[in-house]
Amino acid sequence: MFVGQLLNGLVNGAMYSLVALGFTLIIGVLDKLNFTHPEIFMFGGFVGIISIEFLPLPWALLVSFLVGGVLGVITEWIAFRRFKRSDSKITAALSSMALGLVFTDCVQKYWGTEPVSLPNLPSWMGKNIELSGVQFPYLHFFILIVTFVLMFLLQAFIHQTRMGRQIRAVAESPTNAALLGIDVTRVSQAVFFISSGLAAEAGLLLSLRSASANSEIGLTFGLKALAIMAIGGLGDMRGAMLGGLLIGVLESSLYLFGLGRWVEITVWVVVILTMIIKPSGLFSARIKLQESRA
Amino acid sequence: MTPPHEKHLMRIEHLSKDFGGISAINDLSLDVNAGELLGIIGPNGAGKTALINTITGFYQASSGQIHFEQQDITHLSIHDIAMLGIGRTFQNIRLFKRLSVLENVLVARKSFFRHPFQWFNRQSSPRQQMDAALACLSILNLSEKINQSAASLSYGDARRLEIARALAGEPKMLLLDEPAAGMNEFETQQLIEDIQIIRSQVSCVILIEHDMNLIRALSTRVVAMDFGSKLCEGTAQEVLSHPEVLSAYLGDEEEDVD
Amino acid sequence: MIADHLFFAGINTLLAWSVYVVLLSGSLSFAQGAFMALGCYCAGVLTVKLGWPLLPATLVAGVFSAVIAFLVGYPTVKLKGIYFILVTLGVTVCVRVLLENFKFIGGVGGFGGMHGADVYAVAATLGGVGGLLYLFSLGSWQRICDAVREDELVAASMGINVVMVKLLTIATGAFIAGLAGSLYGHYMNFVRPENFDVLLSIYVVLYVVLGGVNNMWGSLLGAFVMTLLPEYFRILAEWRPTVFGLSILLILLLRPQGILQFRTLTVKKRGALGS
Repeated sequence: MFVGQLLNGLVNGAMYSLVALGFTLIIGVLDKLNFTHPEIFMFGGFVGIISIEFLPLPWALLVSFLVGGVLGVITEWIAFRRFKRSDSKITAALSSMALGLVFTDCVQKYWGTEPVSLPNLPSWMGKNIELSGVQFPYLHFFILIVTFVLMFLLQAFIHQTRMGRQIRAVAESPTNAALLGIDVTRVSQAVFFISSGLAAEAGLLLSLRSASANSEIGLTFGLKALAIMAIGGLGDMRGAMLGGLLIGVLESSLYLFGLGRWVEITVWVVVILTMIIKPSGLFSARIKLQESRA
Repeated sequence: MTPPHEKHLMRIEHLSKDFGGISAINDLSLDVNAGELLGIIGPNGAGKTALINTITGFYQASSGQIHFEQQDITHLSIHDIAMLGIGRTFQNIRLFKRLSVLENVLVARKSFFRHPFQWFNRQSSPRQQMDAALACLSILNLSEKINQSAASLSYGDARRLEIARALAGEPKMLLLDEPAAGMNEFETQQLIEDIQIIRSQVSCVILIEHDMNLIRALSTRVVAMDFGSKLCEGTAQEVLSHPEVLSAYLGDEEEDVD
Repeated sequence: MIADHLFFAGINTLLAWSVYVVLLSGSLSFAQGAFMALGCYCAGVLTVKLGWPLLPATLVAGVFSAVIAFLVGYPTVKLKGIYFILVTLGVTVCVRVLLENFKFIGGVGGFGGMHGADVYAVAATLGGVGGLLYLFSLGSWQRICDAVREDELVAASMGINVVMVKLLTIATGAFIAGLAGSLYGHYMNFVRPENFDVLLSIYVVLYVVLGGVNNMWGSLLGAFVMTLLPEYFRILAEWRPTVFGLSILLILLLRPQGILQFRTLTVKKRGALGS
C-alpha cells in the first residue's frame, strides 16, 4: 500500500518535473515566463488521441513531442518575439497567457469540455506486474522510464551538443552570446521547441495514465508546474526535477494519511512558504534572475 | 565606546561594509557637524557612494554604528532614515521619469506622512505643499519647467531637479552624490551658486565630488577616501595637497575627473 | 435581459478596479478571485445565518477581505514580479480549496439563500468606488503610488513607507473585490467555490490589460466590453476566450512599448495645480 502510493507519487512527480523542466528552461535561458506552456502540456494529450489511433506507441510519443515543439516555436513567434526589452517582460507573459486562452478554447470547441478517452491503448497498459506480493501497473514504470530517459537526453543535449553549449552561453548572458556570434533567435526557438515538446510529452503520458485527455488540466496540473519551478529555483533544472518529484511524493503522502482533500493546495502552500522563507528556491544556483527579493 | 557628543550632527564609528570578499567600506569613522559643508573626495571605487548608501540605509552596515542627532540609525529602514531628516541625490540620475518636474518634487513633500494617513497634520495643506515645492524649484532655477515631463529635461536640469527634490523633503542633512558630473563650466558655476543658497536651508551638506573646483569653492572641510577608508581630512587646501591623496589619484595634482 | 448584463458588467468592473488598485503600487495580483470569494461567503454568512441586512453585510465583507489581504500580504509584499504573482495564484487556489472543505458554508456543494442585490446596488457601488478612485487620482496618493511604481528605493529615500503603501493598495483592492463578491452572491442566490477560481482571476487581470492600465477608466472599458459585447454578438459569446485572447494579443502587439505605461501627464490637471 505504502509503496504503491509512493510509486504513484513518483509517477505524478515525474510528470510534474517534465512540465516544470520546460518552464524553467525558458526562464533560465531566456528569462521569460511562458504561460502558454501549461496549455501545450494539455494539448499533448489530445495529440495522443489522434496519434495513437494510427500509430504504434513509440511513434505516438514522438509525434506528441514534435507537435508540442512546433507549437512552442509558434508561441515564441507570436507572444514573445516582439517583446524583447526587459520592461516588456510582463507584456510577454500576459501575451502568452492570452494565447493560452485561445489554445484551450480551440481545443474545447473541437473536443468538448469533457475528458475524451484515448482509443486503442495497448493492452499491457491495463496490466500489472507483481513484485513482492504487490501489484504495480506496468504503465507507472513506463511513465517513469520515459520521463527519466527524456531528462537524461535533455542533460546530454545541454551539456554535450553544440546547440546545448549555445544555450548555456545565452543563459549566461544573451548580449555576450550575441557578440560571440550566436544566433540568439535560433537558440530561443530551440529552447521553446524543447521545453514545449517536453510539456506535450508529459501531457501525453498523463492522458495515457487516465486513459483520457482532459482540457482542464492546463490550469490545474500545468500551473502547479509553475509553482514547482519556483520552489526548485527559477532557471534551475535540478530544482525542477527534484521539486516535481518532491511534490508528487508529498501529495501521495497526504492521500496515505487520509488528507486527500488538501492535495490540491499542497504545492501552493509549499510555494508560498518557500517564497517567504527562501524566495530564490531550493537551488538558487545558476542563471540570472531579474526578479528577486527587495 | 565614547558617548555621542552633543555638537555632532552625525557620528560614524568604525563603519564597515563588505560584499562577499570585497570591503567597500573599511573601518571608517567620521563626525559631521551642523553648519558645515563636508566634501568627500577619492578615486573611483574608494567607497564614497557606498558610504552614502550605507548612511541612507540602501546598504546595511556589516559592522559599526551611525548616529544621527544622537539616534542610532545604523539599522533603520530607508524611509525611516529619510524621515529623520537625511536627504540624498544619486550618482546616476534617478528621477521619476513619467512624472512632471513639479510632481517629482511634490512627492517629496508628501512624504512627510510617515503612514499615508495623517491628513490632520496642520502644516500640510495642499497650498503650502505646493508653495514649498515651487520654492525649491525656483532655488534650482527650474521654475520655467515645472510642467515638463522629467524625462524631457536636459542633463543639467535633471541633475538640478534631483537636488530640488531632495531639498523639498526639508532635510537636516543633504547628501549630494557627484551633482556636477557631466556639467560644463558654466553649469558648474551655476551649481556652486545654487548650493551656496541651499546651505541656508539645510543644516549640513555632504558633497561627493570629483570636480575639485566645486570642492574648493564650497567645502568647509574635506575628507579623502580610498579603499573604503579615510585617508585624511582637513581643509580643502590641506587635503588636496596631501601626498597620499595625490598618489591615490595617480599623481594628478588637480583634476576634473569624470 | 439587459439588467442582467449590466449587473455582470458592473461586477466585472469592480473586480477589474480591484486589480487596478493593486497595480498602482506596482504589483500584479491574481488573487482577486479569492478575495471576491471571501467577501461573498462572509456577507452570505452574515445575511443568511445571522440575518443581517445586505448593506452592512457587504461592507463588513469588504473589510474582512481587506484584513485577510493585509495579513497575507504582509510577509509577501516584498516579493517582486513573478514571485508575487505566484503567491497570489497560490492564494486563489488555497482559498478555493479551503472553502470547499468548510461544511459550515456548504463545502463543494455550494452555499445558497442569499438575495437582495440588484443592478441598482451594483450601480451605487460602482459610483461610490469609482468616485473614490477618481478623487484619489487627483491628489497626492496618486503621486506616491506613481513614485513607488517607478522606483521603490528612491521613493523610500524620500520618506515613503513603500511596504505600507503596497499593503494599503493590496488591502483596498481586496476590499473592492470583497464588495463585488457580496453583491455577486446576493444576486446569484447560490454560489460554489469553483465559481471563484484561477480562471476568474486571470480574466479579471486581462480586463484591465484590454482596457488599458493608464487609469481607472481602462478597467471599466475592458470589463464592459468583454461582458456586454458577447451578449449582443452570439459568435463572440461562443468563442469568448478566443476572442478575448486574440484581442489582448492584438492590443499588446500593437503597443510594443508594453502595457505598464502608466499615467502620462494630462495638461489640464497641471494647469489647475501649477498656477
